[in-house]
Amino acid sequence: MTDTETLSLLDEQLLSAAQAFAEDASSLSNLLTRFVQDVERAMREPLDIFPVCHHSPASALHMVRRLQTQPPKVIYMELCEDMRPLIENLRDCKLPVALQAFAAESGTLPPEALPVMVVAPLTEASAEYQAIAYCLTHPETELVFVDRAVDYIFQWDDDWKRDLEQLEAEDEIGERENAGLHGTAVGVTIGELMPTFDEFLHFLLRNSNTRYFAEWWDQYVERTIINADYPTYKQVMVLVGSLLRHLGRRAEDTQVDLLRERYMWTRIKQHMHQHAIQPNEAMYVCGAAHVGSEAEEFGTSSSVIWDLPTYTDTRWLYGLIPSSFAAIERQFSHPAGTVSLAESTWDKTLKAEKLKPFDLKRPDIPNHKPTLREMTRNPHVLSEFLTQAPAYSAADKEQLLQWCIQIVALARKNGYLASTADSIAIYETSMLLAHMRNRHHPTPYDFQDAAITCLEKDHTPKKRTVAHLCQILLGGDRVGTVGYASLPPLAQDIYDRLAPLEVDLFAKTNQRALMDFKTRPEQRTCSDILWKLHYLFGNLVVRPIVGERKLAHMPIQESWDILIGKHQREIIQLGYEGVTLEQVLEQRMKAMAFAEDATAAIALRTAEDALLYRISPRLVRELGLHSITLLSQETSATDAPDIFQRARRLVHYYRTQPNGLPDWLEQLIATGYAHYAAMLPQAFADTGTRPEQIAGMLGFIFTLESLALALGCQRDQLMLGLQGAAQSEITPDKLGLLWASEWLLGLRDITSMRTFLTQTINDTLRWPTLPQYLNGFVLALNFAPGMARFVVELLSHIFGSVTDSTLLMWLPSLILQLRQHQPLLQPLIKEASVLFPLTLQGFASWQAPWNKQMEVSANATAISLGIEETRHQLFTTPAVTTSIAAWLGITPQIWLTSDKSDIASLPSNTHNQEINMILQTYSESTLALADYLTNGASARG
Amino acid sequence: MSDNILRLPAEAKYADELNFLATVDRGQRPANWRLTPRMVRIFVLGSTPADKLAYPIAQKWFGDPAIIERAIVTLASDRGLLLIGDPGTGKSWLAELLAAAICGNSTYVVQGTAGTTEDQIKYSWNVALVIAAGQSLNSLIPSPIMTAMQQGAMGRFEELTRCTSDVQDALISIMSEKYVSIPELKEDNTIFARSGFNLIATANSRDRGVNDLSSALKRRFNFVHIPIVTNKKQEREIILFRTQELLQRQSFSVNVPPTLLDVLLQTFADLREVSNAATSEDTRLESALSTAEQIGVLEDAVLYSNYFGESHLTARLVARSLVGTLVRRLPEDIAVMSKFWNSVVAKRSEEQQGDWQEFLVGGQEAMRTIQK
Repeated sequence: MTDTETLSLLDEQLLSAAQAFAEDASSLSNLLTRFVQDVERAMREPLDIFPVCHHSPASALHMVRRLQTQPPKVIYMELCEDMRPLIENLRDCKLPVALQAFAAESGTLPPEALPVMVVAPLTEASAEYQAIAYCLTHPETELVFVDRAVDYIFQWDDDWKRDLEQLEAEDEIGERENAGLHGTAVGVTIGELMPTFDEFLHFLLRNSNTRYFAEWWDQYVERTIINADYPTYKQVMVLVGSLLRHLGRRAEDTQVDLLRERYMWTRIKQHMHQHAIQPNEAMYVCGAAHVGSEAEEFGTSSSVIWDLPTYTDTRWLYGLIPSSFAAIERQFSHPAGTVSLAESTWDKTLKAEKLKPFDLKRPDIPNHKPTLREMTRNPHVLSEFLTQAPAYSAADKEQLLQWCIQIVALARKNGYLASTADSIAIYETSMLLAHMRNRHHPTPYDFQDAAITCLEKDHTPKKRTVAHLCQILLGGDRVGTVGYASLPPLAQDIYDRLAPLEVDLFAKTNQRALMDFKTRPEQRTCSDILWKLHYLFGNLVVRPIVGERKLAHMPIQESWDILIGKHQREIIQLGYEGVTLEQVLEQRMKAMAFAEDATAAIALRTAEDALLYRISPRLVRELGLHSITLLSQETSATDAPDIFQRARRLVHYYRTQPNGLPDWLEQLIATGYAHYAAMLPQAFADTGTRPEQIAGMLGFIFTLESLALALGCQRDQLMLGLQGAAQSEITPDKLGLLWASEWLLGLRDITSMRTFLTQTINDTLRWPTLPQYLNGFVLALNFAPGMARFVVELLSHIFGSVTDSTLLMWLPSLILQLRQHQPLLQPLIKEASVLFPLTLQGFASWQAPWNKQMEVSANATAISLGIEETRHQLFTTPAVTTSIAAWLGITPQIWLTSDKSDIASLPSNTHNQEINMILQTYSESTLALADYLTNGASARG
Repeated sequence: MSDNILRLPAEAKYADELNFLATVDRGQRPANWRLTPRMVRIFVLGSTPADKLAYPIAQKWFGDPAIIERAIVTLASDRGLLLIGDPGTGKSWLAELLAAAICGNSTYVVQGTAGTTEDQIKYSWNVALVIAAGQSLNSLIPSPIMTAMQQGAMGRFEELTRCTSDVQDALISIMSEKYVSIPELKEDNTIFARSGFNLIATANSRDRGVNDLSSALKRRFNFVHIPIVTNKKQEREIILFRTQELLQRQSFSVNVPPTLLDVLLQTFADLREVSNAATSEDTRLESALSTAEQIGVLEDAVLYSNYFGESHLTARLVARSLVGTLVRRLPEDIAVMSKFWNSVVAKRSEEQQGDWQEFLVGGQEAMRTIQK
């Protein structure tokens, strides 16, 4: 019976079915006719069309058979044509890996979407990998990728945006290790058949008692065709592909499919024409759904060729990245375990069929040549074949028994109470389930359900559920590795330079590296690399356990956790940015410092980082100079504390270096001094500027002042700035800062501050402002550590005077406030330890040092207003004074010799004190005397 | 007679469907089963055109078909079935449906309580007959489970975890040896289970830890977890189906406006969200907020509107029923509810208008009434 007869029978059967079930049979019969026509057309085509489905072991097996029996001259394949050069690098990779295209620069794509990535994962149990492996080991067969270049994925529709959003929205990655290996990339795969039309999918699954498309495929297509002969395989695949294409795809997807088909056929025909290939010498591997294409370009007999569209200006870079089964499943929304199942079916069938797959590792030609099934095939009708259930071998039963035993062992290991009785129950239950679901033999899905039913109780004893255990049992996840030779130069360079560590950088597990630089000084370069990676990736790729990197710090030992093998993709993707790690770092740092929203602090930080990671003095200088430019343009003091700390650190560092301070740092200090001095009035007046920021500014000014003055700055700038600041209204929390600065410049003394604060403390109504005053003074310690004694005094005074009920309410916020300035507290605590007695007994006789001072000055100054006036009169009339003195028995001395103008500043010596005492004791006579003196003086005048 | 019965058991209610399925059922069935597992599945989950039945079977339980399949095959195997899940997820309903389909009798039920004794699981004696004629099989009163054993039918055990452990363990020998011995009798003192006998138990996952099952009993049961329905479409189907069914007892059909049903579903979804986010028991409603509660609310509102209202359902009535059903503890629940009402419901009413506005007012009124 010929194929045509076979098909006409099928055609008849389908049409009669259409008439029986549909009321209006014409549209249905058109559709059904279309299916048959698609099959007919595909079989007629002289170019051998090989329909495949993604991750289908059946496709892979038929591919192996086909290539072993009739090697073609050229294989055209549905994969992005610009990814073709990558496959040369597959030789030293461990599958699954993914071909990746990467673009970070584009004039057409929206900037927020960049960088974009496209991945095409490859697993061993796939027709495409078998064909690739064959072509790489048999150079006489050429492999041509004919699908649209990755650039068109982003040109033709916006589906990629939806895909990426979906990937980002999924939270599954957290649950499954290695599922995030592709990052947020757009996935492309050969033979995509999954229905995108939801109603169709729902209908298909409901009527077939399956939960996922993958399960349906496995149950209704895969198992049927895996052992079929080649023409039957082809016919069934085309038929199913045609059904899914015409019924299961959304209109917009079919539109893109059509463009791709036109593209592929154009490319095929162009290639055939250029290399004089006859259709029967070649083979075209494409998704089964593409065979039902309506494109005019379809078929070698059609001479229509599409005038291909042009590329956009997006710059694409290509590479290989490791992939994993879990990542593939996540990428293409397959249920967990699909790819593992495909892989195990592939292994099982290879064994049963005694076939050797193509392998890049051992490219030996198989000893025996299998004959194509066509030779031994019993001529039977396709329609008959389609109604038969797939045959099951003893191997299937054996496999199920094995699973039942293994899952119980695995469950026991994971804390479940499971025994042989459970093995039996699982076997029985899976048989019953399969029977109820209308299957001859339990599928892995039935087995999984049975295992869950029999083993899962009310809670999970350890980490893993039975469903999870089943997945592990049925193959588990596998993670690929990209070999050294296939790595980009940057990654190779990293691997080379980390070689002295002697750890396995390809291992997927955590590697611990211990470095002792005394015995192995060559490991210092490794440490540099690790720190640079740490700078780029945080704790993801490498993780320091012991060791730190600070300016001028020379480590003796370091220890690291290295996860480079696990995060190979990150390292490979760095390779798209530059040729060496240093280059990438330099680019990133420059991008950060020269970004539009960069501030002086950011630029200075990158400069410090560049110095820290020893990139190059030239870069440090460039970034430093840029930070100066930014600083002089800044109008706020937001980053002043940060800039102050960094500048101080850098100055300290460079002072220890033989060459001293670099020119850019000197410039920075000079600019900073002038800039901050000029900004002081505004900062003090502006309520939006916080005291911490002003403290940073003043810190910069005073700490680096000597340097700035040496570089030609003028102190007048600062004086002017402070004078300007003093004129504005100063809020309590900034007052301490202003006064401390004035004190440093000799414009204010401690006594005046003390007087003011004593008045404030004595005034209960002003208590609420006390914490703010205190804050200002504490912050002033930043640049005026000499104030520490006064701050201790102030604190003690406040604690001594303010009532407990008020103090208790302040305490929490006060402690929090002080905790923010931990470095400032050191001088404070030091000073306190000097001032306060060290033992409890010491307190008995202790008197606060400032109290002693105050007593003395109180004696000196406790003169009332009247007395002051009397003093004045006494001095202005020396004759009277002398006579009074004589009467009182005092020798006249001072008032005769002193100058009038110095009266106010007269030192309070003993004589003065005596006079004062006398005048105070006889206050009435003194006042009368004063009266007389005043009136007498005026009468005389 | 059935006219006077308040609630018919599933086998009587769906007698037509069961008889029909039995007549078309050609497959091989487990011993003493009235239907094949595949037909039981169709009975519970409803038929599809692919089943090629002349008479469509309605869906009676909504959820993942895999749950039903696992439950059915468990019953066909040597192990008992334990349905475990939150209150109001339809465990007992499923148990009843399964028993009705498999053996045509869902009434061999033991209700587990803290006071359930071993007698209620095995057997007890008719004291008068024992005094008159001594202990014999005649004076023995078999428990529903023992009857199920004798008949080769499905025995049901509701709320298994409410019973004390020693009572639960009485099931171990029934489940493994499949007989009950009666030591009081000299001869003929063992009652053997006929083939077809199995147990369907239900347990409340909220009661977990009250009377935990012993390991020996656990391994004689297959646990099937019934999840809370979170899929809105499915929940809508369940509510409509069950409300209609309940109201048929009052012999009137009900027409629930779809927008009103949306309001109810959304409110419950919001309440669940709030409840999940709550940190303490005091800020959480006592109710489990299950689908069954929603059915209760709707039924209450329909009854009220029919007997005291304008004979059609309004948003105000639904809100009143909702508040009345969910507020149980005073004053905690009313505080939680009032907070929810004045933030979430008020916001929705502002945004979406329509039924929500009346719904908002109705709820506020109801809360005021309760607080008085």
